[in-house]
Amino acid sequence: MSAPARSRENHRVRRWLRALGGVAAGITLAALGMLAVVLLLNAGRSPDAGISASSGLVSALAGTLWLALLTAVIAVPVGVGAAVYLEEYAPRTRAWRFLASVLTNLAGVPPVVYGIAGLALFVRGMGLGPSILAGGLTLAVLTVPRVVASVRRALASVPESLRWNALGLGATRWQVVRDQVLRAAAPDIVRGCSAALLRAVGAAAPLLIIGAAGFTTFAPASPGDPLTALPTQTFAWTARPQAGFPALAAGASVTLLFVMALIGLVLWDLRRRHGEARR
Amino acid sequence: MTAFRSSAGAPPTDPRERLMGGLLLGCTALAAAAAAAVIGALGLETVRFFADVPLSQFLADLAWTPSAEEPGFGILPLLAGTAQIAGGATVMALPVALVLAVFLEFYAGKRTASVMNAAVAALGSVPAVVYGYFALNFVTPALKGVWPGLEAFNGISACLVVGLMILPTIVVLSREALGAVPRSILRQAVALGATRERAVLRLALPAAWLGVLGSVVLAMTRAVGETMIVTLAAGNPTGVSWNPLEGVRTLTSFLAQASMGDLAPGSIEYGACFAVAAVLLVLTFGMHALGRALVSRGQADGPGGSRS
Repeated sequence: MSAPARSRENHRVRRWLRALGGVAAGITLAALGMLAVVLLLNAGRSPDAGISASSGLVSALAGTLWLALLTAVIAVPVGVGAAVYLEEYAPRTRAWRFLASVLTNLAGVPPVVYGIAGLALFVRGMGLGPSILAGGLTLAVLTVPRVVASVRRALASVPESLRWNALGLGATRWQVVRDQVLRAAAPDIVRGCSAALLRAVGAAAPLLIIGAAGFTTFAPASPGDPLTALPTQTFAWTARPQAGFPALAAGASVTLLFVMALIGLVLWDLRRRHGEARR
Repeated sequence: MTAFRSSAGAPPTDPRERLMGGLLLGCTALAAAAAAAVIGALGLETVRFFADVPLSQFLADLAWTPSAEEPGFGILPLLAGTAQIAGGATVMALPVALVLAVFLEFYAGKRTASVMNAAVAALGSVPAVVYGYFALNFVTPALKGVWPGLEAFNGISACLVVGLMILPTIVVLSREALGAVPRSILRQAVALGATRERAVLRLALPAAWLGVLGSVVLAMTRAVGETMIVTLAAGNPTGVSWNPLEGVRTLTSFLAQASMGDLAPGSIEYGACFAVAAVLLVLTFGMHALGRALVSRGQADGPGGSRS
């Protein structure tokens, strides 16, 4: 092939690549835009007065906040602690490596499976019934492996020399972990934990399996109250074909996204402040 | 890391050191206990289920109808449905995601890249149930305009929306794989007379292909486990159909549908749910392990370190 011909061919390839990239970007943006427009348009439509009078979101909202709190309080410390132990303390024996890989790969198991396990363990086994507590424990159990997986990756990316230098300067093991490793990995740790937590907040399937109510008459005030949450409320309303319910479901979706955005914002702020502490 | 761990030597005498070590070990024990409880609970009920239903029937039966008068307990129809959804979603998502990853990594300007990063991140954080709403109330009616014969619950709408849901996984992880290819290699290629396109298509893509493959496997893992979109958009047919205009039932949507009825503990349907959940556990666990191994192999393969 002569030089000018090759140059022409390369120009063509480059144009094609750019055009394809633009199309792919356009498809992605269009999909996101349509999603937003569909939700907002439907949420703006007012459902029949008969339905809307008995269809508030207060109890579902309270349920979701309870679930987020329970999941965060249980899953984050346990998951981060386990990941730190597995990466920084545990000896490299076959048994420890097996445990680490089991915990990490459980992160790929879908929430619905944890719902079935939660049904057997918490709802029936511990006799909690379909309560907020059973839902929170189920979400916590499904979140722990996700936290372990992302925190392990964050810790593994901290340079080994950092540990050795601190150790060589006389720091103890916990001082090395606290002052060097955790500090260096903090932004990634917070990012991983918030992604896992938000995934749990948006999860409908496991709560549905353990018996979330689609209709409640009062807002849950304690973990023992009947389970209700925004994602399951969205599902219950989406699954009803009668007129008026699409608008309600869209409203619940928008509320859910709003709550997730708020939680995400708080965690983003946390990450920003911890990111500044990084050298 | 090996040396740092084994440098423990004698156990620390400082009470604070011992307290922290103990606390972290306690967290690990809790996490391990939770994992064991999940696996144990599923395993126990599954073993009970197989006391009633022989394994041969589970593997060979061509119908999954646990509640029928003459129940069928064949897992194959559900596996076929899951394969349709996961395969279809991957086919829809892969071309767009791969092109987008290459475009963002090598071609897009700073502004475009940051807008697209935000868009991809937004798509990745939308809860599945909201995607399900979108599929049922927008995608299916829109597709009906194209194919009037489309059923209200159909596979194609579910595939499209699941594809949209797994797109961010492929984009983000493929970009990481492409980014891990040392820039010096690409520069050397260009210095030797290759065009930018040649460097990207003939060097960066082949070098990153293990990581890209891993991202696809991880995305398929999510598609296999996707429950809400499929339950809302693809219906709950008992038969197997390979026509994308008709409904599809997957492992996950069966679980969601079954749980909406009354599941009496000890009944055969209750056991069947656990057996299906155990199959899902094994399948997704294995796929996740494979995908993660590919992704980290992809990163370890390159000489690394020389990014600049």
